[in-house]
Amino acid sequence: MSDYDSDQGSEAGSYAGSEAGGSGAGSVAGSGAGSVAGSGAESDAGSGGRASDNESDNESRGRNRSRSRSGSRSGSGSRSGSASEAEEDNRAEKSGSEGEEEPEGEDLNSDVEEDDEDEYDEEEDEDDEGPKSKKKKKKHDRFGGFIIDEAEVDDEVEEDDEWEDGAQEIGIVGNEMEELGPTAREIEGRRRGTTLWDSQKEDEIEEYLRKKYADESIAARHFGDGGEDMSDEITQHTLLPSVKDPNIWMVKCRIGEEKSTALLLMRKFISFQSTDTPLQIKSVVAPDSVKGYVYIEAFKQAHVLQAIQNVGTLRVGWWKQQLVPIKEMTDVLRVVKVQTGLRPKQWVRLRRGLYKDDIAQVDYVDLAQNQVHLKLLPRIDYTRPRGALRASQDIEALKRKKKRKPPAKPFDQGAIREIGGEVTSDGDFLIFEGNRYSRKGFLYKNFTMSAIIADGVKPSLSELEKFEETPEVVDFEISANKETGPGHTFSAGDNVEVCLGELMNLQGKVLSINGNLITVMPKHEELKEPLEFQAQELQKYFRLGDHVKVLSGRYEGDTGLIVRVEENRVVLFSDLTMHELEVLPRDLQLCSDMATGVDSLGQFQWGDLVQLDPQNVGVIVRLEREYFHVLSMQGKVVVTKPQALHKKKEFRNAVSLDSENNTIQKKDVVKVIDGIHSGRKGEVKHLYRNFVFLFSHVYLEHGGIFVCKTRHVVLAGGNRQTPATGPVNGGYLTSPRISSPMHPQGGGGRGGRGGGRGGMRRDRDLIGQTIKITSGPYKGNVGIVKDATECTARVELHSSCQTISVDTGHIASAGDRHRDGSFTTYSRTPMHSGSQTPLYAGSKTPQYDSSAGGRTPSFGGATPSFGGATPLHSSDERGSSAWEPSATPGRTEEFEDYSKSGPYTPANMYGSDRSSYSPFPSTPSPTGYNSGSSGYAASASPGSGIGPFGTPSPTSYSPRTPGSSASPYQSSSDSSDGDWVTTGIEVRIKESHDDDGLSGQTGTVKTVSGGMCTLFLLAEDRTVTITSDRLAPVKPQQNDTVKVIKGKKDKDQTGRLVSIDHVEGVVSFSNGELDMFPMDFLCKMSAGSQ
Amino acid sequence: MFYHISLEHDILLHPRYFGPQLHETVKQKLYTEVEGTCTGKYGFVIAVTNIDNIGAGVIQPGQGFVVYPVKYKAIVFRPFKGEVVDAIVTQVNKVGMFAEIGPLSCFISHHSIPADMEFCPNETPPCYRSKDEDVVITAEDVIRCKIVGTRVDASGIFAIGTLMDDYLGLIGS
Repeated sequence: MSDYDSDQGSEAGSYAGSEAGGSGAGSVAGSGAGSVAGSGAESDAGSGGRASDNESDNESRGRNRSRSRSGSRSGSGSRSGSASEAEEDNRAEKSGSEGEEEPEGEDLNSDVEEDDEDEYDEEEDEDDEGPKSKKKKKKHDRFGGFIIDEAEVDDEVEEDDEWEDGAQEIGIVGNEMEELGPTAREIEGRRRGTTLWDSQKEDEIEEYLRKKYADESIAARHFGDGGEDMSDEITQHTLLPSVKDPNIWMVKCRIGEEKSTALLLMRKFISFQSTDTPLQIKSVVAPDSVKGYVYIEAFKQAHVLQAIQNVGTLRVGWWKQQLVPIKEMTDVLRVVKVQTGLRPKQWVRLRRGLYKDDIAQVDYVDLAQNQVHLKLLPRIDYTRPRGALRASQDIEALKRKKKRKPPAKPFDQGAIREIGGEVTSDGDFLIFEGNRYSRKGFLYKNFTMSAIIADGVKPSLSELEKFEETPEVVDFEISANKETGPGHTFSAGDNVEVCLGELMNLQGKVLSINGNLITVMPKHEELKEPLEFQAQELQKYFRLGDHVKVLSGRYEGDTGLIVRVEENRVVLFSDLTMHELEVLPRDLQLCSDMATGVDSLGQFQWGDLVQLDPQNVGVIVRLEREYFHVLSMQGKVVVTKPQALHKKKEFRNAVSLDSENNTIQKKDVVKVIDGIHSGRKGEVKHLYRNFVFLFSHVYLEHGGIFVCKTRHVVLAGGNRQTPATGPVNGGYLTSPRISSPMHPQGGGGRGGRGGGRGGMRRDRDLIGQTIKITSGPYKGNVGIVKDATECTARVELHSSCQTISVDTGHIASAGDRHRDGSFTTYSRTPMHSGSQTPLYAGSKTPQYDSSAGGRTPSFGGATPSFGGATPLHSSDERGSSAWEPSATPGRTEEFEDYSKSGPYTPANMYGSDRSSYSPFPSTPSPTGYNSGSSGYAASASPGSGIGPFGTPSPTSYSPRTPGSSASPYQSSSDSSDGDWVTTGIEVRIKESHDDDGLSGQTGTVKTVSGGMCTLFLLAEDRTVTITSDRLAPVKPQQNDTVKVIKGKKDKDQTGRLVSIDHVEGVVSFSNGELDMFPMDFLCKMSAGSQ
Repeated sequence: MFYHISLEHDILLHPRYFGPQLHETVKQKLYTEVEGTCTGKYGFVIAVTNIDNIGAGVIQPGQGFVVYPVKYKAIVFRPFKGEVVDAIVTQVNKVGMFAEIGPLSCFISHHSIPADMEFCPNETPPCYRSKDEDVVITAEDVIRCKIVGTRVDASGIFAIGTLMDDYLGLIGS
């Protein structure tokens, strides 16, 4: 029930009341007017004199069914006072004029009224009777309760046989001798009648009645105080209609004019009041929900006929009036919430007329007038002249034309003017021939409900497009349309809030759902029982921090945490994209699990390289239901439909050059050194021309993907350093070991041939690979790359015994034997051990060989290799020795790692391990711990340290490492070089030193120059000069002063070792900072040098 | 909130470690496997304080691996809705700021930052600055925030925080 109705109700009520008060028409007018306004007045009539006092009863009744009528009830509270007052006035006046005993007269009056209300209520309340009886009794035990019993009996028994009499008698009395009240005798007489059908023991009944009777006298005494007091005592039961009450006739009425008819009848009643033949009807009811009928309450049909005589709108009802059975009387006024299903913005179609089958959008609905205001595309015949030009048109042609339906298109003001039509404007609207057109060319027009089809209307896309203003609107409409299917999106467990009716703002939790009826457990200390609500009375309610899922709309399927709740808008922080999403509350649902997100849609996946247009490519950074967000090469995010994209075919081996001419390829980790992303690190996802798409976990936008120029990145990690970066590190300007630890220069056999290192850059990635020639005369041949520059490769063919030069563009890796992201060192190893056989490369033994064996020569034989500046590294010597140190880092680093932390596993055993226990390679826990802990130090997340544990094979272990713990690599390779040696630290001379006298001694490093350092031996109190690689750092103990000798972080800082935790030490720096380092990163400082 | 609780964990050990150091290895492995992990129920395992009992190892048929049930005590950090915590800001951007509460990362949306604080993207480093320029929150700052929601998944916990309450915001400097 709308507010409008109840307003009208109260208006009518008070108006009629005052009128009646003046005229003395009494209750008739009062109740009549009350009901005129239709359902809105129902409670007026019902509660008229007593509603305010019967609050508690009302309340209990309200629980049962109040929801549907909540509007009226809230209204009644405010106006019951005035209504009852008016009524009372009437009564008082009337009884005064009749000279009858005042209370009695009033009694009858209210009786009549009350009874009909009473039955109405009784039905609802029947089940309440039992449990409430105690309370009820108290209320009953006066007059009102008494009547009720009567009424019930009457209903059942008298209805049929005594109906005529009752009607006659009471009717007439009621009407013409209204003031005649039930005297005590009368009541007793009725009661006796009652007992006839009552099976109760007589004395019991007698006592009961006696009590009542006594009470009644008290009540009678109270009557003087006025109707309100009286009403206090009467329960709702007394309000139900009985045979003694007027009947209700249903009279056909012109559709849509029910209300005006009722008002008209009221006016008629008033104007006839003072005439000789006043209307004898009691009330006219025109409920909202009833179309084409009004109800007229009267004792006799003749009275009805008299009333409707000459009423135009009721002409159709003249011949037949239908009597409403007493039982059904209450239903007349039962308010059913009208579910027309028509809502603004809904799509409808027209049923007939010019616009038949046209789509239209509901602008607003006027239920009272049975009309809808629609927005649609006009069909104006622009060929037909108007206005002044009209005369020239001959009528025949006009008629002919009319048959054809003009096309629907937006209103064209210019075209109208051309054909002579007059267009006036009214605010935002243009008016032409009485119709209103919006500036956008839509027609706004009223149609009757019957002229439209509302059910199952699905606008086609083209129709939608015509109405479309923005895509957003359409989106909204589509989802709104969808909603009509299930009706609502509530589900059990949802937090909801009542958004309509008197329980507005009440919060609760959905317990169960039955169609449109939702059972809610309210969150209120007073309300302990579940309540039922219509779906549209509820709305979802969310709180800050709730984890929710988006059910529909653009972000369908996404989940997130709520960061803001507003009226009709919720801001989410998406789990997936770390973006903020704005969503309607109704599209959300509480949810504990996390969306995995749509990773693929059709042929596309997140992170795919796609072709935006012939010149541009991009990477899909976000998939939505219908749109992709593509990060283009220019770093802009483009939103496109999947249809507009082509999957970009990518070469697996696409390589590009970074700023230092390193080749970079997919999965490489690079550092950005220039451009807007300068400073970031990322993994290469895609390469396209000179653009590289990188992925970084710490970059939040676009799911971590960003784009750079290849020239702005540099390959990260210690595994592939270029000569250019070498010097920075060590000062070993020419030391191959630093300059290219991972790219040992050639094999033993090739040293001489490789020769000119300075000139053409050798593509070391390629050397040793088995490749296939993809074009040219040797197409299809497979061979091993013996040497390669950037543009050509020397390939030793498998098939024929020859070595040819091939353009690097014409070769493709065959089989990817060693290259799937693993250390290239492995593939190179065989070279060091002097073997040319590629097969050898895969096996583990050589590795062990070379690591164990390789070490010895380097320390023993190749002494000059430590003298950084010595001619050792001249090209002619490199063949024999240079391969070794360069190869070493790759291995030694591991080797040392294990040996350092490997009290459990001897290093060489590990070497063999690796081949035999392939599933367990990285698990040798000392190592794992070690790398784990260094990972810990390097990156905040311990997860990365744990990673290696689970990794199944060395290949996947290795590529991972540079990412998370690049430092251990570098540092451990450093350790073999000896460049960790700095002044002030305590070192031990390794056993391998040739001077046995010195080996094992400890000393303090005094100076370091190149690979040599001067050492002050504590024991002998002398200074010796020794190559730094013969030295090992002295492990500090707790509370020692230590120096960080390795690692990138805080290198060369000194501090105090606070505690040792297995392989890690906690160092307290002088500035108060605490940090953890792997123990082998630390070296004891000599006491004297501090 | 921190708790000191008893937990259990199974350690899978490679046969190579069967030797005198076996228990030591099991312990070491427990530390690595457990410390720093996160479960939805108990939160982040910060540190193992005590290993109560290393149960009898059971050799896995066909593999040779041994499973040791280990009972240990650990300090865990479990964030709760409504908890007030100190955090270190790690990143500041226009949608809000990210902060770390030890191992827990927390997002504070700009909706949850008092309205008088504005994002200044042009500052270096970018920061949130109050109108009177009294309070400037930038990366590395220590803030006090209230957790308003958490999302728990298999590998971690993520929190949403707010600064919109009394005594929340920048602390210290």
